[in-house]
Amino acid sequence: MDIVLETDQLGKRYGRAWALRECSLRVPAGRVAALVGPNGAGKSTLLHLAVGLLRPDAGTVRIFGRRPYDDIAVLSEVGFVAQDTPLYRDFTADELFTMGARLNRRFDTALAHRRLAQIGIPRDKPVGKLSGGQRAQVALALAMAKRPRLLLLDEPVASIDPLARREFLQALMAVVAETGTTVLLSSHILADLERTCDYLIVLHASQVKLVGDVSALLAAHRQLVGPRNGGPLPAGVAHVVRAEHTDRQSTLLVRTNAALRDPAWKAYDVTLEDLILAYLGDGDSRSHAAWEVPA
Amino acid sequence: MIWLAWRQHRKQALFTAIGLALLAVFMVPTGLAMRHTFADLGLDDCVRALGTASMIPADADTCGKASIQFNGQYGVMTLIGVLFLVLPLLVGLFWGAPLVAREIEQGTHRMVWTQGVSRGHWALVKFGVAGAVALVASVVYGLGVSWWLTPMSQAGQHGRFNIFFFDMQGTAPIGYTIFAVALGIFAGTVWPKVLPAMSATLVGFLGLRIALTTLARPHYLPARVLTFPVKDATEQTNPAAGDWILSYGIRDASGKMVTANAQIACAPDATGPGAACGADLGITSGAYNWQLYQPGTRYWLFQGIETGIFLAVAALLLYLAVRRIRHVA
Repeated sequence: MDIVLETDQLGKRYGRAWALRECSLRVPAGRVAALVGPNGAGKSTLLHLAVGLLRPDAGTVRIFGRRPYDDIAVLSEVGFVAQDTPLYRDFTADELFTMGARLNRRFDTALAHRRLAQIGIPRDKPVGKLSGGQRAQVALALAMAKRPRLLLLDEPVASIDPLARREFLQALMAVVAETGTTVLLSSHILADLERTCDYLIVLHASQVKLVGDVSALLAAHRQLVGPRNGGPLPAGVAHVVRAEHTDRQSTLLVRTNAALRDPAWKAYDVTLEDLILAYLGDGDSRSHAAWEVPA
Repeated sequence: MIWLAWRQHRKQALFTAIGLALLAVFMVPTGLAMRHTFADLGLDDCVRALGTASMIPADADTCGKASIQFNGQYGVMTLIGVLFLVLPLLVGLFWGAPLVAREIEQGTHRMVWTQGVSRGHWALVKFGVAGAVALVASVVYGLGVSWWLTPMSQAGQHGRFNIFFFDMQGTAPIGYTIFAVALGIFAGTVWPKVLPAMSATLVGFLGLRIALTTLARPHYLPARVLTFPVKDATEQTNPAAGDWILSYGIRDASGKMVTANAQIACAPDATGPGAACGADLGITSGAYNWQLYQPGTRYWLFQGIETGIFLAVAALLLYLAVRRIRHVA
């Protein structure tokens, strides 16, 4: 299995606060990976480290085995769409593509033109006058024209309306299907991810909470409902991710390591959203301590 | 990359060109008119006859009458000319400060720094394009103003070596302009927002300009001292010498300053009103005129030193800016 992006004990600090720390993960080739976490969890920091905009303060990040900060040649293999899809607003889409062609050794201007023609975006209008959704499409076309082997997107759909969001993700999926590019996409809109991603990375409070193939992760987690204080946990539970209790019953989201067979507990399949929320709700003990309130 | 830098900044280049064109529309006709008047008054020949020596014989014609007439007609031009002093600063504010600051403020650095061009290369090309436009503009400006100011300087009242007039002609404006652009760029890497970068440029530019002009420039080379007698004067100072007079006055026989900012010369048999020459001003026998000055012949040397200092500071700032660009995100 080819590893496209690999981090090892990666850390980045702003002043004394760690924006990301002890981050170790791998993204295999051909995946559409979701990078999920609340605002401030370190998603942008991780992506900026991966694309060489930031230098790691600890550990390493490798793209195709090379360190992007020191070896910018590897960036020709990487397409990056930054948060809020920054583009020169007085440039037309055509001018942005000219820029792409002049700044990159490999740039498929015809592909970019074709993509905009498909979605009907004017090429001769300054992109500052396009809608947010159209601008995101131009940014995606600009990134894809590099014919990257890895596409990194930082909250590409956060600021556009639901319809444009769906069109954007459709366009993204079409490109992925056509080219087989590996994608790492950060977002906090969980519903979108369920439709698009097959690999999941959950970041919370600067640390990686969960990494893995989506279907394997879903298969390895169960929601258990049983009586309150219903005695010992059933065999097959590796650990409890999150527990909620009412007066009469307990609801647990558990990671399993074997089949569950305990009639006292009812087991349900989990959705991707349940899973992500359970890991995000895991509690941030540091920030509780910082605010001097009990967790 | 050059294409990108030009495409991004062509509007500013256009505005700069329009600014220079407007300046030319004002300066060419007024400059020609001044030259005509200058020649009509006979100042051309008169000034040439005076030469560039610091002292001339007491009975030489100093072209005083024609000079007064000329300055009366065109004195207001010198006030307009002083406005040109801010032009290098404007270039720094509107070319230099936004160059990096706007990219980071709008987040577009995350797009352009992740293309296939290194940040160092990006920075050099951007700086190069901005620097080249600033250089062309400032050369045109410096030489144009030199041409425009020549009659005014020669008419004696505002020598080209004097503060303000030195600063807006010759090569000095080139140094100021390149420095202003470099300062703006550097400020943008430290405060990556356009307005703070512009403010820092404004403060830094005025600070260094004022400090160097008042504290350093008079001492680029040791100033010379010139003394000549009050009484029985056979010589007088030459208004066409173009000397930069730092201070002057009358000292008594012991060398003590008696009257600052004054200069008196009495012909061999002259008397003051009812008394010996200068007696009513407290001038005693043995008193002499004293002046501390930089000779006019040092003008281009001083221009070179001034320009060199600002270019060197600009180079340092650009070096630091490139270093910061490599490390910020």
